[in-house]
Amino acid sequence: MSKTVISMKNIIKRYYIGQPNELQILNGISLDVHEGEFVSIVGASGSGKSTLMNIIGALDRPTEGTYFLNGTDISTLNDKELSRIRNSEIGFVFQTFNLIPRTNALKNVELPMLYAGKSKRERSERAMQLLELVGMKERYTHQPNELSGGQKQRVAIARAMANNPSILLADEPTGALDTKTGRLVMDIFHKLHKEDGKTIVLITHSPELAQETERIVTISDGSVISDTGVKDNGLY
Amino acid sequence: MGFIESIRLAFSSLSANKMRSLLTMLGIIIGISAVITITTIGNSIQQTLKNTFDQINMNYFYVMLNSKPYDENCGMTEDEYYDTMYISEEDMFTNDMFNSLLEKYPNQYKIAMSEQYASGETVNSKNEYIKTNITGATDGYLEQGKIEIIDGRNITQRDNTEKKNTAVVSDIFVKQYFGDGENPIGKQITFSINNAETQDFTIVGVYEYSEAKMGKFPAGSKDIDKVTPVFIPLDTAQKLKGVLNPTYDYAVILWNTDYSSAQAEENLRSFFEEQYEQNKYWTVYVENEQSMLSMINSVLNVITIAISVIAAISLIVGGVGVMNIMLVSIIERTKEIGIRKALGAQNSSIRMQFVVEAVIICLIGGVIGIVTGILNGVLIGKIVSYLVNNIYTDYMDIIVISIQPSVTAIIISVIFSMLTGIFFGYYPANKASKMNPIDALRYD
Repeated sequence: MSKTVISMKNIIKRYYIGQPNELQILNGISLDVHEGEFVSIVGASGSGKSTLMNIIGALDRPTEGTYFLNGTDISTLNDKELSRIRNSEIGFVFQTFNLIPRTNALKNVELPMLYAGKSKRERSERAMQLLELVGMKERYTHQPNELSGGQKQRVAIARAMANNPSILLADEPTGALDTKTGRLVMDIFHKLHKEDGKTIVLITHSPELAQETERIVTISDGSVISDTGVKDNGLY
Repeated sequence: MGFIESIRLAFSSLSANKMRSLLTMLGIIIGISAVITITTIGNSIQQTLKNTFDQINMNYFYVMLNSKPYDENCGMTEDEYYDTMYISEEDMFTNDMFNSLLEKYPNQYKIAMSEQYASGETVNSKNEYIKTNITGATDGYLEQGKIEIIDGRNITQRDNTEKKNTAVVSDIFVKQYFGDGENPIGKQITFSINNAETQDFTIVGVYEYSEAKMGKFPAGSKDIDKVTPVFIPLDTAQKLKGVLNPTYDYAVILWNTDYSSAQAEENLRSFFEEQYEQNKYWTVYVENEQSMLSMINSVLNVITIAISVIAAISLIVGGVGVMNIMLVSIIERTKEIGIRKALGAQNSSIRMQFVVEAVIICLIGGVIGIVTGILNGVLIGKIVSYLVNNIYTDYMDIIVISIQPSVTAIIISVIFSMLTGIFFGYYPANKASKMNPIDALRYD
């Protein structure tokens, strides 16, 4: 049995606590993700999957329950410690790419390493390697507005990998792309999974995309309604 | 994230919004340049005053007669008293007074008086006529005018009391009379006095003629035509004029700076007050020229500071402008802040980024302001010099114009503009750093 990267026990998230319009989004989710898994979390809009993603990504703390990420209890950390976790343990890939505008591809990829306090030389060397890995090496001087959607997402994946995080957390990474470029992006995720053994959590509303992954966790109304467990879907 | 990285980041963000950055800076530029312009002008006026007064020795007192207030016990009505009040010969300063002052306080004072005697003409070995102005002067007179003796000696008090026919001539006169190479000291020269009689004077010293202090020669005048003063002892001049007991209605008295100005002033006042104790109408008024100058300077300082403070108000307006733009900027860049936070930026890094940005805006604005301020000040100074040199030419010889920006004001401006950046940048930066990353990421 490989190492448990994410270990969630009975996670509950409420908003407007103590007010008349108090809202419970997550109703006690328990989820374990092991090292090297490629998991998809599937759910319709409003199912609570975005809230769950924010908690997994250490952007938010659960109201109740415990969340261990690589053995660290995330639910008790302060803002500063959460920043450090996001910086070193999580690699975000967003639907809308979220590259920093007016900042070239290389600088964007360097950014997480900048916040980690790495030296300039170390940053640019690693950033160039990662850009090469996603096939964007030749365009390292390009600014986001000079890149296509697929290219932007590849730069974003390189950026997510910058500090070699424990998990890649991808939120609808192909949602803003056409089928062809979306395919290309998914291929990169599969490559990172197969070749580097990266743990990847893919959040999507699309069952077809989820089918590509080893394990599908389906969420509805803030609860896990099905979990396929690790399977070999034979596609890759 | 390091400080250097923050600076780099701030520069790239500022250069991405050049127009906006420039407009934001404008407030700071105007504020700082106004302060620097004013302090440059103030400083230049002070320097000009200093240089102008530096040409003469300021360590002197001006002693004048001053009317005594009416005293009921003097045996006259008030009307009678004021009707009969006038300065007669007996009321004026005499050589006896000066001598007893010098005796009472040896080495403390020097009399600095002069009196035009006559025009003197002489002929050199080439039969060329040389015109001079023969002026009676005491030892303190040349010293007060900072007229430098370059050869021989100054006129002494002894020359004066003994009414000797000694003379101190200009370097120009030496060239005119002797040509080059001959030692003029000890030579006796016969002058024709007002073309009526002749007098012989023995040269004891040579002074350096300064056009700035003693007047420019007419443009293009030949060396032989230059008229310079020949200084002879004051009492000699008076004697030659037929005045055996000269009197003066004012006195210029230098003091030895080994003694304090206050002490020197007090001694002088009490000395003369004693001299005039029995005088019905008159006593003396002693004016300390040194303290006059420092008074003018301190008034000027107060004015400069007051105007600078008014100008500095525009800096506050500029600072509010910076804050406003920074607030707009963080709203515009909310998403960017969210992304940075998701990538692991700590609140302190975000805060630092925006504070550094504000400080850099203010610093660049400050530097531009300093440069424009200096240029403004220099330009105004040049205009004033032009006016003095071309329109008010009477003052040209006296005034030494010096345009100098105030270094203190420049240093204060740099620090002040940095503080403006920190002060007005902190609130927006702190607001940015406290943003919730989830909300910030969702912002469009």
